[in-house]
Amino acid sequence: MGDFFSNIAIGFGVALTPINLSFALIGTLVGTLIGVLPGIGSVATVAMLLPLTFYLEPVSGLIMLAGIFYGAQYGGSTTAILVNLPGETSSVVTCIDGHQMARQGRAGPALATAALASLFAGCVATTLIALFSPPLAKIGQSFGSPEYFALMVLGLIAAVVLAHGSVVKAIGMVILGLLLGLVGTDGQTGGERFTFGMTILSDGIGFVPLAVGVFGVGEIIANLMSRQQQRSIVGDKITQLWPSRADFRLAWPAAMRGTAVGSLLGVLPGGGATLASFAAYVVEKKSARDPSRFGRGAIEGVAGPEAANNAGAQASFIPMLTLGIPGNAVMALMIGALTIHGIQPGPQVMTERPTLFWGMVASMWIGNLILVIINLPLIGMWVQLLRVPYRLLYLAILLFSAIGVYTVNNSTFEVLLTALFGVLGYIFLKLEMEPAPMLLGFVLGPLMEENLRRAMRISGGDPMIFVERPISLGLLIAALALLILVALPMIRAKREEAFQEP
Amino acid sequence: MITRAQETAPWWRILGQKDVLAGLFLMGVAAAGLWLSRDYQIGTALRMGTGYVPRLLCWVLLVLGLIVLLQGLRAGAAAAGAFAEFWWRPFVFVPLSLLAFVHTIERLGAIIASALLIAVGAFAGRNMRPVEVAATALVLIALCWVIFIWGLGLPIQAWPEW
Repeated sequence: MGDFFSNIAIGFGVALTPINLSFALIGTLVGTLIGVLPGIGSVATVAMLLPLTFYLEPVSGLIMLAGIFYGAQYGGSTTAILVNLPGETSSVVTCIDGHQMARQGRAGPALATAALASLFAGCVATTLIALFSPPLAKIGQSFGSPEYFALMVLGLIAAVVLAHGSVVKAIGMVILGLLLGLVGTDGQTGGERFTFGMTILSDGIGFVPLAVGVFGVGEIIANLMSRQQQRSIVGDKITQLWPSRADFRLAWPAAMRGTAVGSLLGVLPGGGATLASFAAYVVEKKSARDPSRFGRGAIEGVAGPEAANNAGAQASFIPMLTLGIPGNAVMALMIGALTIHGIQPGPQVMTERPTLFWGMVASMWIGNLILVIINLPLIGMWVQLLRVPYRLLYLAILLFSAIGVYTVNNSTFEVLLTALFGVLGYIFLKLEMEPAPMLLGFVLGPLMEENLRRAMRISGGDPMIFVERPISLGLLIAALALLILVALPMIRAKREEAFQEP
Repeated sequence: MITRAQETAPWWRILGQKDVLAGLFLMGVAAAGLWLSRDYQIGTALRMGTGYVPRLLCWVLLVLGLIVLLQGLRAGAAAAGAFAEFWWRPFVFVPLSLLAFVHTIERLGAIIASALLIAVGAFAGRNMRPVEVAATALVLIALCWVIFIWGLGLPIQAWPEW
């Protein structure tokens, strides 16, 4: 326990320096901004701003990127409540009861409940990161190549099973990502793969153009094609912000349950904010004494999912920081950010770079506090932002995408790739091919191949090594069990139900 | 399984089904991958060559694509195709705006390239007003200059070299 507190002290020592505090502030501000604005998500933003972090200390960069991710969870609820549009995908369910509350003139309490539930969940989930990361990293350090390979297989399969949509298609997207990750020079044999003889491709495809293209530009093309509905902001004048005593009594148990659901689902690969908020809404509705109140402005329907999406966002850092396994697209980008700074993601990060790890954890507590401050008293400012029409917003996203990608390597080729992946991203959206599993595959591809080769060298080319080692066998059985589970008709129906808008 | 939509609609309507297209897309990628990697060394499990993992993945992708395609064929044509909402302008002008940026940034500098990107990109939207776009361009370019060139001191050319 003494270790724990001295680590936390190290963390605050890093996070409270003026420079890191200001990057936490910038990150949470940007996160709230893009969370409030529909039409731009946290994946695209983190990808666009990644290049900026090259010019910063690794810890400052990560603090900022993390702030964007969990800040977006706060901002997303504002739009959901006031406009009935999800600012982020993770606030889809908040629209249901949050917007009803706003229509009944209770926008203030809805916003406050969302922010306070998020704060509570964020603090708890960050504590969980601090408590559970060291033992998990210890386990990770005992892993050899076969175990790592099996863990990545499990991670990718779980990511696919927990995502919505067709599982077969999602596995296809993982494989597509793995293949894209292989483009370039093979580190082992020196052979060129899928480079079309272009030297510019021999270093491989950058993940910034891929992520910005698919998640940013592709989204713009799709948004511009759909007929835009007029946004009407309900509860323009927010007079009373504070929830009543009765509200509190209903909201806080819901926030607790939401935190539990979110923390649990956030740790799982493929989990994270969106799944957590859906699951929390279902939990609230099922456990309520009078479920008919839901959909008509039940405050639990705001508190539960909002706590869950923030807890989920925060908890998804655990596998990324301790094992180097990304559970969702933003974590995949974080892995990329670490790699670019020359930091090999994995269990050794915590021991070799304690200031990086604990500084980031401490910054999350601070960031959550900052977020409540910038979201509640300053709510009027964000409401004004909602008046910016999309026809101007997309120009800004487009320009920032181009400059962001260009600054990575001062390479025009990468901007060209971004355009190409943008068109692909639009096609993926229309064909309901989830791009997130592809990005996970893309990041894990080279690592998986390396571990596979190493495992084969250990065993002398015998694939039985994966079954003979107990840990790797257990991980592979878990992956197989997950696949069989989703194939069962009963579970399949439940899974589809869970992703329907409740 | 034959649905009503299939009976009445021409056969190619099935091509609008999203799973059919997705399956064909994945199979196409896999086939292209297999063709491109035809000369890569495969090696053995112990000493994997350049082509071992890519070709393995391509074969898996081919099978997965086929499954998706069959699922789509079984589901039958949807009432509206996957691209029913298609509008050519964003599809053409969004990528084109990035191309304009690519072709000008190194010769004409970031400011002209950004202005060009916005000018071309503006053709992708509905109800655009020229004055509004021009004002947005001014604000955005100023903002980018402050963040990237003044704030971060990135080595980007702002204006063309004379």
